[in-house]
Amino acid sequence: MNWEPPLFQDLHQIPREEHVFPGAPLCAGCGGLESLRLASKVLGPHVVYVNAAGCFTNLATFPFTPLDASWLYTTMGSAPAGAQGVRDALDVLIAKGRLPKEEDVTVVVLGGDGSTYDMALSSTSGAITRKLDFYYFCYDNEAYGNTGVQLSPSTPYGAKTTTSPCAVQRPVGATQEKKDIFEIWRAHNPPYVATVSPRFPLDLEEKFVRAANYRGPRLFLGFAACPTGWLFDPAHTPDVARLAVECGLWPLKEAVNGEVVHTHFPKLSPVEDYLKLQGRFRHLFEPIVQKEAIAHIQDRVNTYWERVKQTEQKS
Amino acid sequence: MLAIRFHGRGGQGAKTASRIVGTAAFLEGFVAQDSPIYGAERRGAPVAAFTRMAKAPIRERGIIAHPDVVVVADASLMGDPAAKVLEGVDGKTILFVNSPMSAEQLSAQISARGHLTTLNLTEIALQRMGKRGAISALLGAVAGRLVGLRQESIHEAIARELAELGLAASVIEQNQDAAKYCYEAVPVVALESRARQTVPVALHIPAYESPTRGTAGITVGPNSGIRSVGGWRTFRPVLRPDLCNGCWLCFANCPEGAITIKPDGRPAIYYPHCKGCLDCVEVCPTDALTVERETEATSKT
Repeated sequence: MNWEPPLFQDLHQIPREEHVFPGAPLCAGCGGLESLRLASKVLGPHVVYVNAAGCFTNLATFPFTPLDASWLYTTMGSAPAGAQGVRDALDVLIAKGRLPKEEDVTVVVLGGDGSTYDMALSSTSGAITRKLDFYYFCYDNEAYGNTGVQLSPSTPYGAKTTTSPCAVQRPVGATQEKKDIFEIWRAHNPPYVATVSPRFPLDLEEKFVRAANYRGPRLFLGFAACPTGWLFDPAHTPDVARLAVECGLWPLKEAVNGEVVHTHFPKLSPVEDYLKLQGRFRHLFEPIVQKEAIAHIQDRVNTYWERVKQTEQKS
Repeated sequence: MLAIRFHGRGGQGAKTASRIVGTAAFLEGFVAQDSPIYGAERRGAPVAAFTRMAKAPIRERGIIAHPDVVVVADASLMGDPAAKVLEGVDGKTILFVNSPMSAEQLSAQISARGHLTTLNLTEIALQRMGKRGAISALLGAVAGRLVGLRQESIHEAIARELAELGLAASVIEQNQDAAKYCYEAVPVVALESRARQTVPVALHIPAYESPTRGTAGITVGPNSGIRSVGGWRTFRPVLRPDLCNGCWLCFANCPEGAITIKPDGRPAIYYPHCKGCLDCVEVCPTDALTVERETEATSKT
């Protein structure tokens, strides 16, 4: 394993300063907000957040804002294009001497999975190809959450959403496989791509610190356990986030200049542990146990980690 | 026509309760209509839902401004001006509040017209279903009883509506049992019939600024903290400092940032910023954080 000794080894190293303040009207127990708050502790206050429409629309409801940074709101499909505009404007101002170089700010795109995996994919692709110097933070709750939990390309096999119900024709719910956006991003060869989970705060902080060493597109995929959409008690947000990692469904990894390294090797508990906690998978267990569907999910996890072990443990 | 208005917090089941009553009324041969209203704020934030039932087709639409029955799922909503619980409540309205207090005790605290009646639904849900969660079936049963629907139709309506939400058969049965208990336990107040009055509603057209002024900008720093979200809670985390080992897991995992670290390195919960998700209780390795039900006494702090 070539994950270098992390800077963050103790929870007490997490900065006490807050940059995402309380009072935002996001749901109680929002996993996405949890990640953003931790990420912002490393990103700091000198940031322009370019926010694609989504749940995070609720962050800044006029006249209130929880951010001590700037916030620009865009449509679902155009946040990376908005980031390009902000970055270019800053560059021009600095070149003309109208903005001191030390007052430069970081441009951070916030997008949900509906935006990231679906509507803004071409915009993101363009931004990475143009080597835009920005961060992309996707809070992935595996559905179009803000509009009432509809199927998105991020929805995993077997999950129930309002547009992929457990029906006679499709008793498993969603029959698609979750789109592998990490690999799509990586194929563009950006300097830094990583997945994070707020239940692994040290890993999350570490990755944001590491990303700061690079220029160009730095993309993060954040696990956003969603009590409202995944139908579990908000108190279980940490459990769901932990089990997603420990069951192998949400691998924690990074890719520096295209080279993938897994930063946490889970103990690979049975996927049932993770599925059973959530109402969106309940139809796989009741009234009859859909053994094939569960085995299918488990198989894909096993195949993934087999491949990881073969490729990464050689080095 | 009878008009029932439900008030709750997102996630408590006010919307589903309105559907249960609507379905039960429909099963008894009434014409029924139900609809919820909520803004962008969801789970934990104030929500209202409406049910209308009548023998003849219902022409009225939209929010219920003059309810016959108001069902309040959370007593803390009474003090929330944004929830507008008492709007349109007059001397003939029946007001039901989920509260551990009796109607007399509660009416001493709130200045509401109408007939007040209470039942401790949260306690019943904890005892009979053993968990914190939605109390939609219980709210539905209470409302159904107050408007004179039969227990059997409520029973059937709960089965239909909760099955649609994908709840397990065993959970639905628990809900039906608890609902039956509430149906029989709720103190019934005689419903006075009255003529519906229609009141023209004045439309508030917002005053837009001239486009030449440009868009309004916020140039202040983070100001969301001046809004209290403490009213979202039905349960609150309580820290026992003697059991705390100072690991900071709660601080790291609070989505809100409502837990701060004091100069001595120990955490402290700032309740006006706590939405009551209880993630901190879940991650606490030493049981220093416990859960307490939000009551009229605690919600003031």
